[in-house]
Amino acid sequence: MTAPTPERAEEGKSPTRRRRKPILPRVWHFASFGAPGVLIYLCFVMAPILISFGYSLTNYNPFNPPTKFVGLENYKNLFSDETFLTALWVTTVLTLIVVIVPNVLGLGIALLLDKKGWLYNALRTVFFTPVILSSVVVSIIWQKLLDDQGPINQVLRALGVDHPPGWLSDPDIALYSVASIVCWQMLGFCVVVYLAGLQGVPTELLEAAEIDGAGPWRRFRAVTWPLLAPSLTINTVVMLISAFKTYDYVKVITNGGPGSGTTATIAFNVLATGLDANHAGYASAMAVVMLVIVAVVTTIVLQFLRRREVDL
Amino acid sequence: MTTDKRSWVRPVVAIAVSAVFFIPLYYVLVNVFKRGDLISTEPSALPLPPTLKNISAVLTRPDGLYWVSLTNSIVVTLLSILVLTVLSAMLGHYLARSQKRWTKALTMVLLAGLMIPPQVILIPITDVLRATHLMATLQGLVLFNVGYYVPFGVFVFSGFIRGVPVELEEAALLDGANRMQVFWRIVFPLLKPATASVLIFLGVWIWNDFIDPLIILGPSQGTTVTTGIYRSIGQYQADLGSVFALMFLATLPVLIFYLALQKQFVKGLTGGATKG
Repeated sequence: MTAPTPERAEEGKSPTRRRRKPILPRVWHFASFGAPGVLIYLCFVMAPILISFGYSLTNYNPFNPPTKFVGLENYKNLFSDETFLTALWVTTVLTLIVVIVPNVLGLGIALLLDKKGWLYNALRTVFFTPVILSSVVVSIIWQKLLDDQGPINQVLRALGVDHPPGWLSDPDIALYSVASIVCWQMLGFCVVVYLAGLQGVPTELLEAAEIDGAGPWRRFRAVTWPLLAPSLTINTVVMLISAFKTYDYVKVITNGGPGSGTTATIAFNVLATGLDANHAGYASAMAVVMLVIVAVVTTIVLQFLRRREVDL
Repeated sequence: MTTDKRSWVRPVVAIAVSAVFFIPLYYVLVNVFKRGDLISTEPSALPLPPTLKNISAVLTRPDGLYWVSLTNSIVVTLLSILVLTVLSAMLGHYLARSQKRWTKALTMVLLAGLMIPPQVILIPITDVLRATHLMATLQGLVLFNVGYYVPFGVFVFSGFIRGVPVELEEAALLDGANRMQVFWRIVFPLLKPATASVLIFLGVWIWNDFIDPLIILGPSQGTTVTTGIYRSIGQYQADLGSVFALMFLATLPVLIFYLALQKQFVKGLTGGATKG
């Protein structure tokens, strides 16, 4: 190490050389290590977002030129558009369910499975399997299960229910059915993250609390739950983002129906308006609004949950 | 403790809850091996006698849907995850090691990509791909995948790279190795857990992806296994046996992949998620 390497030898020679030397390698370092990934990201994610924003200010329709600049008209129309307002409502309901239900059930199941042994390992696999299934496969399975004449209603009829609910055909119920399906698929993710969090809870702390006379509920409230704060953050943010993106289930299971838009999320409407109906300008305005909502809500929730982590 | 007396409660409750949760999977498994006419009449009965007819019907379809879709899925998934691993490992390294203010900003821009819904970019993407003649090609889909998932790769890799001592790289640089050699020979082999989670997660996501291949590959060109299932469900609504068999066969590769790498999978999920 003490032997003068070429770089070190040069350092002593002249100050100009010393200053010039690192600059070139730094440019080269970025060009070789950073640029390829950044370039593709800029081309396929950032540029399209800017283009989307540009489209949203026009009446762009690739099959119906000419394209005109319409300013904020698309945005103005959005907020008096029944379809969009319904989609906003649908997305909100779906998001609330998908953030709350898998978190609550996931925590319960993680506490139940937080034991060593082959049985608990096997059951963990059961819960995690839906996470690795394609949402298309999950959608089709549940579409068959929840069909009006499907196995679930067959069982209900056999149990004496004369008019079992139309899980996917009743406009008042379909959204909750779709939300439940998303919860079923996502539950395993929450379980695994909470299980990992539970492994980080020191047993000495729990034992100490027990000696101090704390019952199971008290031990959970005072020791376990605060230490699970990072797991709650991850689960909430991941569920939030995936709920906002909900498209596959809606497309495969209900195609937005039954009735008009009872299960159509914003994500679903963006593509239905933009690619099926070709109103790319208007759909882009929807997409931009969606992006802003996702960014704002995620940032607020993340800030709130992170602060909670720091406080403890 | 009183738990000895009630020690049977936990396993019984755990098994009961898991059983209810498992019903949909049971429903698929039994019907893959059941005669077509029995699927609608007794959907929840055991497949007795079991039959392989549904599976062979899918494998020997005259249009070769399964094999074409399988090939497309394998090509797209493998190419995407290989390119993604190389690019995001190097970019993650660059960002983790650089202290410049603008690289901090770049990191933020990349992390923002983790929450961008694909719908926001898909409309302009189809225009970009059409202009570059990449629409309805596997290359176009691979490029899109790389761009869209680079933030996840960078997020996982840069988290792990911060745990690798810089001195190791400095020593090798002083010994005359260039940055490429240092990275691939010294740093990258230390990133095995990160590489495993990037490969596993992106592999499963890209394999299961529906919306992007549906729109980028278009209606007529290639199908992947997921879009193949989606299209055949409309066509073969009556033949439930084939639909179940197709779903089963499409999921099998991922399922085997997952069961084989289960440990790394869960480690990657929790490690990657909690480190960043």
